[in-house]
Amino acid sequence: MFRPEKLSRTVIIGSKDYLERTIELLHELEIVDIIEYSAKGLDPDFKIGKPIVKSSGASDQVLTLRSSAKLLDLDEEKHVDKKMTIDEITKDLDGKIQTLEKEIISVTQEKTTLDEQLFAIDDQIARLIPFSSISIPLENYFDHAYITVFVGSVQNLKKFEKILPSITDEYELFYSSDAENVVVLFVSKSFRETVFQTLTDCQYTEIKIPSGTGLPVNLIEQLENDRSRIHDRLETISKNLEKVRRKHGEFILAAEEYLSIEVQKAEAPIKFATTTHSFIIDCWIPTKNVEHVKKTLEDETNNALYIETLEIKSEDDVPVLLDNPKSVKPFEFLLDLYSTPTYHEIDPSFILSLIFPLFFGFMIGDLGYGLLLIIFGYIFIKKLKDNEGWYNIGRYIIVAGIFASIFGLFLFGDFLGLPFQSPPHETGQVIYSWSSLFSTNIPIQSLIHKTETSGITQLLVLSIIAGFLHLSLGLIIGMINERKHSIKHAFGKLGLLFVLTAFTLLIFVMAKWTISQWLVPLKTSAVASFLWPYFITPLSTSFMFSGLFIPYATVIFGLIGLLIILVSLGGLGLIEMLEIAGHLMSYTRLAAIGVAKGALAFAFNVIGIGLILNGNIIIGIIGVVVLVILQLLVLALGSLSSGIQALRLHYVEFFMKFYKGGGKKFEPFGYKRRYTTTQ
Amino acid sequence: MVAAEAEGLIAIAAGLSIGISAIATAWAQKEIGTAAVGATAENDKMFGRGLMYMVIPETIVLFGLVIAFMLLSKIT
Repeated sequence: MFRPEKLSRTVIIGSKDYLERTIELLHELEIVDIIEYSAKGLDPDFKIGKPIVKSSGASDQVLTLRSSAKLLDLDEEKHVDKKMTIDEITKDLDGKIQTLEKEIISVTQEKTTLDEQLFAIDDQIARLIPFSSISIPLENYFDHAYITVFVGSVQNLKKFEKILPSITDEYELFYSSDAENVVVLFVSKSFRETVFQTLTDCQYTEIKIPSGTGLPVNLIEQLENDRSRIHDRLETISKNLEKVRRKHGEFILAAEEYLSIEVQKAEAPIKFATTTHSFIIDCWIPTKNVEHVKKTLEDETNNALYIETLEIKSEDDVPVLLDNPKSVKPFEFLLDLYSTPTYHEIDPSFILSLIFPLFFGFMIGDLGYGLLLIIFGYIFIKKLKDNEGWYNIGRYIIVAGIFASIFGLFLFGDFLGLPFQSPPHETGQVIYSWSSLFSTNIPIQSLIHKTETSGITQLLVLSIIAGFLHLSLGLIIGMINERKHSIKHAFGKLGLLFVLTAFTLLIFVMAKWTISQWLVPLKTSAVASFLWPYFITPLSTSFMFSGLFIPYATVIFGLIGLLIILVSLGGLGLIEMLEIAGHLMSYTRLAAIGVAKGALAFAFNVIGIGLILNGNIIIGIIGVVVLVILQLLVLALGSLSSGIQALRLHYVEFFMKFYKGGGKKFEPFGYKRRYTTTQ
Repeated sequence: MVAAEAEGLIAIAAGLSIGISAIATAWAQKEIGTAAVGATAENDKMFGRGLMYMVIPETIVLFGLVIAFMLLSKIT
């Protein structure tokens, strides 16, 4: 669970007579990651294998099918109820593909031509529109023997209108009513230069006269007729395509999959080393499966293959196959989003799967929102089970919802942003609570009220505790990871752990043990005689230094940490010391998001409940609608920020303490069949 | 407990500490956000990574928040 699956490096050697059968078997097994053979640095007698020839046509057919699927807009994530068998697909495959190609390509070609025509028509109409209000046939826009024509937009039209009469009165000016500042000016040719100069001064931009003859209005009408005709034709075509899609869609997907698999198998030898008569497959197999693979291959080939497991060398680039229980699997997705772990380090998926929802739930911290999250997560899982990403997110939401409900019920005593009971010492302002709204006493206490100053301080202290535990865990994992690699670095992490403890104690004493009221019940318990004299008193004994309480423990732990860091990491370690203080403070976001979300929900509740309790029934109904919308808004915003921040605490603060990443994923040779079945 | 005038000044200081640090965060996020969106446009896989980079400067505003609370605790 904390380590990736153990892999064994295995070589399979055999005669080329068994090549195809071996590929077939490995493909079916789907647990072998083949290492690509590189010709560099090996015996010159070995050559890279050549693809198996028989399926050269298959790759062309795959291309045809893929382009058909694209043209038909087939949904490749589609879930099919009945998978096709190989026999069904291979029956007259070539013939079927040829007919399909003809049917689809002729239709799509017409579609493309019509689309192009439509585009041209739209363009032409757009050009004609500025001229539609001017009743001059298009052929008259060109220069005549004594008259020159200017067509274009004039930004500074007023100025031009003023100047033009002073140049000449031998002109005619037309205005377009459909486009701003567009004018057509007919003017005597002898004034051409002067008028052009004036036009340029008034920011004139020439417009190209559209091609065609006759009145623009008539042309537009004609073009619009053409357009609707093409539209009709296109509709018929898309109906035809829909028919083709319904008739052949599943076949296309299944055949594409079948042929892709064939191509994949045919191209497999490219990864092998070969001699004239034999082949060598170098591969990774999960250690627990080695015997099974060996037995299958030997049985099916009558012991014609030589199979040997090799020692893993330190320079081997071992692929990583994460090995987690089914409930943790969805969280591997979050790890992949960051980076795949390497083979030799601890796989933090399990920790991520526990602490990510814990933080998320802590920030939401509300029974009502928690239950809503569980419901939404369930809907995600049911509705979007074909999409792995959304399915995973659904899982996260459910687990986070459970944690949010627990925190909401036992720690915050909140339901949809309202506490079950009002805070004990309110000052003047009206604070709603479920108990006060229904005039009953709901016996669920809030240990922390998010909207009170003391509550916020308690939350901050809790966040620091969470940060301390989380970072310590990170440092301990870091020590475990580093112990084989470099004992110096492992000690460095130990030093940081001391410094972290020193900082945390300092913060506690400075916050005057805000949570000490929770320790009170412990005072009467059996552990009190042990806890106080040996634990709490020594840790909290402190001295005054320039107005601040500094616990002796902080000084002692800090000095020990500093010493270890200086010895193991040197001066650079001091930077890490500062960094760890920053990281610890960074966990206060747990409190900050929780309070911000709580305050937002509280404010919205005051607005909504105020409207509902107004007395007027219509305003009351509006209040209900407003409240529902606002509550959903709080939930959406709160979940988004909580999710991102919980993830960030892992990626940045936690992972920086131990995680290297950059591993290569284990990719078994095989194919995940969606549309076909070998049975 | 501090005098009434000092209380006002402390409250202003708390407001400034969170306000100015929020501006600093926003400034940093502006720069990172631009680059992250650019990277996402080129490669969809960068979305998750970009989102993470995006929230990194939020630590700055958290420091402001913590200082604000430390200041406020002097008043009440």
